[in-house]
Amino acid sequence: MFGYIRPVQPELRVRELDLYRACYCGLCHTMGDRYGIASRFLLNYDFVFLAMLLWTGDMGTDICKKRCIGCPHKKKAFCKNTTALEKCAGMSVILYWWKIQDSIADEGFLKSGAYKILGFMLKRAYRKASADFPEYDAVVRDSITKLSALEKAKCASIDKTADCFAVILKAAAAAEDDPRRRRVLEQVLYHTGRWIYIVDACDDFAEDISSGAYNPVAERFGLHESPLPEDIKNQLKITLMSSRNQAGNSFELLEETAWSDIIRNIIFLGMPGVAEAVLTGIWKKKNRK
Amino acid sequence: MNDPYSVLGVSRNASDDEIKKAYRDLARKYHPDNYHDNPLADLAQEKMKEINEAYDAITRERSSSSGKGGGGTYQGSYSGGYSGSGSSSSSGGDLGRARNAINSGDIATAERILNSCSVRNAEWNYLMAMVYYRKGWYDESIRYCQTAVNMDPGNYEYRQALNNMTAGGQAYRPGGYYQGNQGQGCDMCDVCAALMCFNMCCGR
Repeated sequence: MFGYIRPVQPELRVRELDLYRACYCGLCHTMGDRYGIASRFLLNYDFVFLAMLLWTGDMGTDICKKRCIGCPHKKKAFCKNTTALEKCAGMSVILYWWKIQDSIADEGFLKSGAYKILGFMLKRAYRKASADFPEYDAVVRDSITKLSALEKAKCASIDKTADCFAVILKAAAAAEDDPRRRRVLEQVLYHTGRWIYIVDACDDFAEDISSGAYNPVAERFGLHESPLPEDIKNQLKITLMSSRNQAGNSFELLEETAWSDIIRNIIFLGMPGVAEAVLTGIWKKKNRK
Repeated sequence: MNDPYSVLGVSRNASDDEIKKAYRDLARKYHPDNYHDNPLADLAQEKMKEINEAYDAITRERSSSSGKGGGGTYQGSYSGGYSGSGSSSSSGGDLGRARNAINSGDIATAERILNSCSVRNAEWNYLMAMVYYRKGWYDESIRYCQTAVNMDPGNYEYRQALNNMTAGGQAYRPGGYYQGNQGQGCDMCDVCAALMCFNMCCGR
């Protein structure tokens, strides 16, 4: 996951921003508590979104204050451990673990060495997480293997490759008890995953072209030169918009929670903004600074 | 049945206008057009039914106490999506069976039938497009639908589907969630106008 799923902060209400930050810090604490300090470095916005989506029940008095290494001078509010946070913590460890394993297999000597060190640091965390969520672990392993095979075969269908990644996100809802809620969440997550994969492919486009690496967008449209032509950008916009619309329409079928308006901000403002920034190239420049 | 007021998210002493507005907002959100050929269409229909019943119940209750006439719910001009309507071009046989499978939501069966078909005519391409659309494989679905339109440019059903796909599907957008600096208080007309412009920009 790559941190593309984030709210437009100036458009959040003050209490929503506080809640969002508490969820972010809560996920970080949960990761640290359950899977050790190394796992806290895996924290990212996409999993905070997942935690908010999977959240059930009231917020109530679940918010506490605590100091942490990221901000030692001031106590910060954070959400206490909940099932949703624990799930997200475990799932992010599993996902990163398999991504690292995949990179070790694919990269050259130097880079794969770096990934091996990362893998070593996460080994214990992964063992625990895969014992906590064995079904999820199996789905991620299969999908990453499938995706890696498609990438090696230079697959020219963005839908096919994006599907492997989307299935990983969709599987996060597999354990939901209520079948109606599960169906809806699966749609929201599938299309969020599809959207992330395609946005990431667009974001990496220039880099992959210059390094000669596989890029799903380049392969789909048979491109060998760097700036994306306008008509292709438009086609990508349509496909991204379709997935975002589907995620949004599906989301509206869920019950309202304390997180609903923050999630709406992410889907209806955050995602289109990020897609636009990635396609115009502003995203890379902004994040490098 | 749930309390009709809580279904519409209004208080018991809300004015008639407030109730009407709440009802309209919800009807716009769960409008069948937003869930065209969507795997969750049945859930949206359930919601719509719940909202209609709640609104009916409230207007009945209020008109019987005050003697005023009711408001009339939105009935919807929805006819079951394009896959259900205008199937004049259906040739029966395998394609007909695939079409039925798509309409009943059995996408895996439809895909199997289509893959084993030997004909690759316009309708076959259109049905493949519908299968991919339901799966959320939007890039492929547009490709197949474009081929169907190219092979049979006069077919209204195919063109209609392609227009919908290249517009990114119908989307509900809650009030206040507009990109850029559009006004805060947008009404139904603004939404429609925005959607129309959006359609024109994307569906060149």
